[in-house]
Amino acid sequence: MAQQTGDGMTQGPALALALRAPRSRAIKYGLSVAAAVFLLVWPLFVHDRFLYHMAITLLLAAIGASSLHLIIRTGHVSLCHAAFLGVGAYICVNLVMRLKLPFAVGILAGAGGAALLALAIGPIILRLTGKYFVLVTFLFGEIVRMVFVDWQSLTGGANGILEIPPPSPFFADPQHYYYLALALSALCVGLCARILTSEIGRAIDSIREGEQLAECAGVPVIRIKVMVFVIACGLVGFEGGVQAHYSHYVSPQAYSITESLNFIIINVIGGMTSLVGPLLGTGFIVITPELLRGYVELQQIIFGAILILVMAFLPGGLAGLGGRVQWLMGRARGAMRP
Amino acid sequence: MLSLLSNPTILGQIVVNGLSLSAIYVLVALGFTLLFGIMRVVNFAHGEFVMLGGFALYYLYGMLHLPWLLALVLGALAVAVPSLLLEWLVFRWFYQKMFQSMIGLLGLSMVLMFTGLLVWDAYERNIPRAFDFMIKTHGVILPADRLVTIGAALATLGGFYLFMVHTRAGLAMRAAAQDVEIAETQGINTRRIYQLAFFVAILLAALAGGLYGQIYAVSPFMGERPLLVAFVVVILGGMGSIPGAALGGVILGFTESVLGTLYGGSAAAYASFSVVILLLIFRPWGLLGTPE
Repeated sequence: MAQQTGDGMTQGPALALALRAPRSRAIKYGLSVAAAVFLLVWPLFVHDRFLYHMAITLLLAAIGASSLHLIIRTGHVSLCHAAFLGVGAYICVNLVMRLKLPFAVGILAGAGGAALLALAIGPIILRLTGKYFVLVTFLFGEIVRMVFVDWQSLTGGANGILEIPPPSPFFADPQHYYYLALALSALCVGLCARILTSEIGRAIDSIREGEQLAECAGVPVIRIKVMVFVIACGLVGFEGGVQAHYSHYVSPQAYSITESLNFIIINVIGGMTSLVGPLLGTGFIVITPELLRGYVELQQIIFGAILILVMAFLPGGLAGLGGRVQWLMGRARGAMRP
Repeated sequence: MLSLLSNPTILGQIVVNGLSLSAIYVLVALGFTLLFGIMRVVNFAHGEFVMLGGFALYYLYGMLHLPWLLALVLGALAVAVPSLLLEWLVFRWFYQKMFQSMIGLLGLSMVLMFTGLLVWDAYERNIPRAFDFMIKTHGVILPADRLVTIGAALATLGGFYLFMVHTRAGLAMRAAAQDVEIAETQGINTRRIYQLAFFVAILLAALAGGLYGQIYAVSPFMGERPLLVAFVVVILGGMGSIPGAALGGVILGFTESVLGTLYGGSAAAYASFSVVILLLIFRPWGLLGTPE
């Protein structure tokens, strides 16, 4: 912990820390405000359909990624997150297109449906830990995808549902949709952040670090795990509805293992120890394909290689890169001292 | 529906299909469970080695027209030997790290699958049948092709069994599977054992890939289903348990054959997945595994 800055060496670590803390907090707040202002203002100056599209994709993907981050923080890696994305999307699209219900009702019902499904299976599967949980969610995701393919009257089968209308003619303009996505994304990511900084957040961390110890200390482990799972799946179901009405198209392919895997990649690449991780990872995953356009295979190969490298050598992900460099530099400095 | 079972032709077909599916599943799952049992590695890239095995047989038998048996063996070796390089580059970093191995090897699976897509494109190729006559006995028609598949798989399984039970290397492997540290203190070179286990596992997967590709078709995505199957089989039997993999493979092969013939392929898939999920919930260590 005693990371000494060059000039603070003689005063001792305590003083250096005391000087550091407020400054880093100020930097953090400054950065967040700057980011918020930037996100709100840039569309007013730049009118580029492609940039709008990228930004909307990024904002929506951030919802799924940060909600999966909640589950990962409890120590569980879910391989069926995209299944809940699909449940939300299909419910929302069916309510809006068949029953002509308003868009807001549709996305809320989609989120609710995904959350209900999570509530039904959560208490059972969350008793499993580690590899067994990964395997069960892997198989569950596959079952849900098969249901999407087979239940043709509601899902359109393998072809999916086409020509999903925008939420309203007003939101047909990508600039307007950007602000909608920004508001909803900020809401969802903010909710995740709020949960993680609350008392529940500390309980979540304690469950990951030592489930039995947490239980002994009076943390209602299974109840908190189920709650987090339900909230996270509800959020990703919410994303599903919003995303379907943006892309105007849903199909089982979009909710397969590959997509669940993408959410994991985002978290692994970004880093799994703080909410910054999935946000960084989302940026990376959404922007890289655009740089490698036309080379879809190459992009997947690169992602795969990154997964291997990160898992083998960089457990903290991109967000942990800074700390890792600091640690290495500290070690180098330590080695130089007599 | 069940009255179909009294028809000898259909019954014979179910049995032969069940046996050949079981044999292939057991081959795939054995390698998977070996990697897990000894190195604690969950090989999400296992299906890709099956895929490579399929392509190896496609080239050696379908294009070069080598004798079938020779092509099958050479093809498996042609996949397993170069894979030792992958062991050195990728796998060895994940030994005894179960969680990291899952995600890291998912990455390897992506690398191999999409490299395959770059090289071979997405369309499916067929490997010509090795034998295309039928055998008729007692009113039952059996395709020779399937019988040969069963024979090849059984011979491999027999060889594997002899290797594990009657050689020193097999003994060392079983010891390492039981407890790595104690095996090391007894003078077993675990690095060598890991390499050997990896080689055997990939050899079995590639061999299964050839047989599987000959029944269905060869494409860069053909590994997805064998991977799912390996999961189901290994969970059924118990992760890391070798007899468990054999039992699980037979159960799954016959379930799929019976349900698939009577009710169609997706009914079989739903049934097997549901059973496995239930098993994971109530008895996560599987039928023949031991609780941790």
